[in-house]
Amino acid sequence: MSVRESDLKQAPACTVTSLGNYLWSDPPDESKWADCVHCGMCLESCPTYEQTGQEQHSPRGRVHLIKSVAEGKLEVNEAFADPVFACLDCRACTTACPADVDVGGLIEEARGQIRQAMPLTGWKGAVSKFFLEGVFPHANRLHLLGSLLKFYQKSGLQKVARKTRLIHIMPEHLVEMEAILPEVKQPVRKKYKHADVIKAKGETKRTVALLTGCVMDVMFSDINEATINVLTRNGNDVVIPQNQTCCGALHVHAGDRETGRKLAKQNIEAFKEAEKVIVNAAGCGCMLKEYPELFREDHEWREKAEQFAAKVEDISKYLHDTGYEKPKAEIKTRITYHDACHLAHGQGIREEPRDILLSIPGVEMVHMPNADRCCGSAGIYNITHSEMAGAVLKSKMEHVPEDVEMISMGNPGCMLQMALGVLKYGRNQKIVHTVQLLDWAYQKEDRLKEGKSWR
Amino acid sequence: MAVKDVKTKDQHIENLAKIVGGAQSILYKKEDLLAYDCDGFTIHRHLPKAVVFPKSAEEVAQIVKYCNEHDLPFLARGAGTGLSGGAIPLNGEVIISLTKMKRLLSVDLENRRAVVEPGFINLKLTHSISNKGYYYAPDPSSQYCCTIGGNVAENAGGAHCLKYGVTTNHILGMEVVLPNGEMIEINTNGVLDPPGYDLLGLLTGSEGTLGIVTKITVRILKNPEAKQTVLAYFDKVSDASQAVSDIISAGIVPAALEMMDKTAIEGVEAAAFPVGHPKDIEALLLIEVDGISAGIDEQIHEILEVCRRRNVREVKVAQDEKERERWWANRKTGFGAMGAISPDYLVQDGVIPRSKLPEVLERIKQISEKYGLRIANIFHAGDGNLHPLVLFDARKPGETEKALAAGSECLQVCADVGGSITGEHGVGIEKREEMRFIFTDEEIIAQTNIRDVFNPKNLLNAGKLFPTPGRCVEVKRNEKEKMK
Ligand SMILES: Cc1cc2nc3c(=O)[nH]c(=O)nc-3n(C[C@H](O)[C@H](O)[C@H](O)COP(=O)(O)OP(=O)(O)OC[C@H]3O[C@@H](n4cnc5c(N)ncnc54)[C@H](O)[C@@H]3O)c2cc1C
Ligand code: SF4
Ligand code: SF4
Repeated sequence: MSVRESDLKQAPACTVTSLGNYLWSDPPDESKWADCVHCGMCLESCPTYEQTGQEQHSPRGRVHLIKSVAEGKLEVNEAFADPVFACLDCRACTTACPADVDVGGLIEEARGQIRQAMPLTGWKGAVSKFFLEGVFPHANRLHLLGSLLKFYQKSGLQKVARKTRLIHIMPEHLVEMEAILPEVKQPVRKKYKHADVIKAKGETKRTVALLTGCVMDVMFSDINEATINVLTRNGNDVVIPQNQTCCGALHVHAGDRETGRKLAKQNIEAFKEAEKVIVNAAGCGCMLKEYPELFREDHEWREKAEQFAAKVEDISKYLHDTGYEKPKAEIKTRITYHDACHLAHGQGIREEPRDILLSIPGVEMVHMPNADRCCGSAGIYNITHSEMAGAVLKSKMEHVPEDVEMISMGNPGCMLQMALGVLKYGRNQKIVHTVQLLDWAYQKEDRLKEGKSWR
Repeated sequence: MAVKDVKTKDQHIENLAKIVGGAQSILYKKEDLLAYDCDGFTIHRHLPKAVVFPKSAEEVAQIVKYCNEHDLPFLARGAGTGLSGGAIPLNGEVIISLTKMKRLLSVDLENRRAVVEPGFINLKLTHSISNKGYYYAPDPSSQYCCTIGGNVAENAGGAHCLKYGVTTNHILGMEVVLPNGEMIEINTNGVLDPPGYDLLGLLTGSEGTLGIVTKITVRILKNPEAKQTVLAYFDKVSDASQAVSDIISAGIVPAALEMMDKTAIEGVEAAAFPVGHPKDIEALLLIEVDGISAGIDEQIHEILEVCRRRNVREVKVAQDEKERERWWANRKTGFGAMGAISPDYLVQDGVIPRSKLPEVLERIKQISEKYGLRIANIFHAGDGNLHPLVLFDARKPGETEKALAAGSECLQVCADVGGSITGEHGVGIEKREEMRFIFTDEEIIAQTNIRDVFNPKNLLNAGKLFPTPGRCVEVKRNEKEKMK
């Protein structure tokens, strides 16, 4: 047994062993767990606790275990790794915690230690290495969609991808709409490769840089296109820095903080000139804002990361704060909104996207209970922990109102997972990104103005 | 999920696993047990022998029967938010976790009652019936997470219990597994005030020492027609407490009447749900009135008048539900918020006559100075239930003992002024010794005699609630030794 029995048996909180069992640099941060008063107010927010009812799978339990390793009461081993890796990184606990404990940060730091102490072997190691190191950081390789479909095979997402062809995850009448939109066949990074800047329609008020995302630009390039449309329509020149790369969220979630730092540095450099970095994928946006966390031990880069993080903004918040033209054309649809974890819990953005949706004439919003509950997508979680991801998705789908046509959200990972949910539970909702709907409303308005028919 | 077998050398673990249906419903490895070594009271830590997750009352009964036959100590655990250590396995107990028994079994609007399993979360009950215009009144600040089973065990109270009463006033019936494994039903048809001894009253607040509750019938209430909330800032604690007395003597029964002192305000403002309270006030009052619409405005008018007469610096009425919710989130997360200004806290739970508040706060201030530890005060002012929060840092040698001593002295003050040592958090491990502040040895023995009728072998949650009569000196010494 790897636990030191003597320590476990009797250890009043007042005796803290100085010897920790974290052996590598960048260990979990003591000041983060020192805030935890063990009150349990985070328990019910946690999807894995909801499913298991077991406290080692709760935020409080995880913080307790992470602290116990530092106190030398536990070792970094399989039994410790299990609850730490079963965390969805959904950050719901951060919202719930009255003491503002950064549970997510602790978990990621702990994963970094685990992956160094016990590197992944077997198929999990191979898969993880292939995608995290071989694919995501390389735009051109990513464009080989084939390998990505393999990546989604295990989780059943492949079926969704086939059935819906991804780009067509939208209602019947909007598919028609989509047919008249400029056909998007290629990633925007390829499309605008030779354009230094995509000019605003009309007078330029601001210039922003766009993070195209790795998976995003391949599977959801139409969302990137919609983002560009919406930005330029509202007086923004858009720049797409060509040497940008994957945000590194998946690597950091998987405990590969070293690659995370490498990618972070590349992005910080790539966006050096930018004043605003606009992101339309909540997971990526959250990661970019947390770059400083990766450089706790590197003063120089930490400062750069902080400056960079201050420039990052989610598209919905950016539009909301800088003002956007209210669409005049009507899109008659009943819709519900799902709060992506990394928007609501990670960045505190809840009202802005809802306001945007409600500003579209004809849109009727139906409240989804527990809208900010994780859908179980969580990066590559649905591959590594498919059973838990499935259970979390099931409970999410139970809350999706019956009588809506669309579910809107601000994160591509969630879009895939929710599309899977719709398919799996025989529902008929269509999945859209918030900016897509706004873009369609603008497009429709223009078509009508030009006297062309809409349908 | 496939049922996985448990493989250990411990026959008891294997047998318990069989009762609950396999490996996914039992924890027995030391690493997994670590998360169960304490509850919301973190000063004592002990590992359980195992944690089992029954899915039905029958499984609970079988587990209890097994433990009883094999003399294994055991106890129940809900969400583990208890603040007095009631769910800490002092004797290496088998923990019976009720988190898998979390269904809402039925709602009977006509007769205003609902039946829940013990692991059902307090706030979920209100959420499940609010669209029909009903709610469950007892609202401990931990209501987002704590279980109704745990509420029954601790007779939990909350901000809105001033007008509506604490948990015991809302329990109509229950099903209980006794410590020998026998299952009994008490008044499950929910008839009011049945003849005979008030067993419901006895079990409610018995801190999990008389039986394990497996089903609960609770009273639900119709939402009040109207609700208004007032926030008042005072430069002097004495003015704030005078205002409290004046409001009550004016014949108003607010739904809630809460107070926070300066240190508490510093905590909540530094934490996750700040409201923007001024930092230099000495006390704030959060007052809510509810009921039929007619008359609410007059009550609010009167409350505002009282506050002004008592030199309030600023007083305002919540403009909408959002503002009201913000004020309440700030107040209800008050304990946890202390994490933002201190690594650890010890929350005390005394009851005092309202009129003694200024005096008690003054004496608590002296205790704080004596020990060199900050003490924040959150107060259910309406019913005199005071929560001094002793802020300390367990990593500093000696501070935990100091915090315990300071907390105990606060309770002594409460007892001295004619109050009590617990309002709603229970005695648990924490206040066993302080029971002597208010009970004689004979009175304690009389109560343990009652316990012995239900729990003759004392296998269920032993070592809680009462000091060991006659051996108290020894107990105290043991306590101290453990601390070292
Ligand atoms: C931040 C915070 C705020 C709080 N605010 C309040 C408040 O305002 N008012 C208040 O009254 N309390 C408050 N508490 C204390 C605590 O939440 C309550 O005592 C609550 O009732 C405990 O419920 P639980 O499910 O967490 O029980 P646990 O902590 O798991 O158990 C508490 C006790 O009940 C027993 N028990 C649990 N379930 C059962 C069962 N089914 N049958 C028999 N015994 C059982 C256990 O053995 C234990 O002795 C607060 C706690 C925290 C952390
Ligand atoms: S993480 Fe926050 S909410 Fe959870 S137990 Fe710790 S302090 Fe309480
Ligand atoms: S991030 Fe999500 S899954 Fe992980 S501990 Fe917090 S609430 Fe639970």
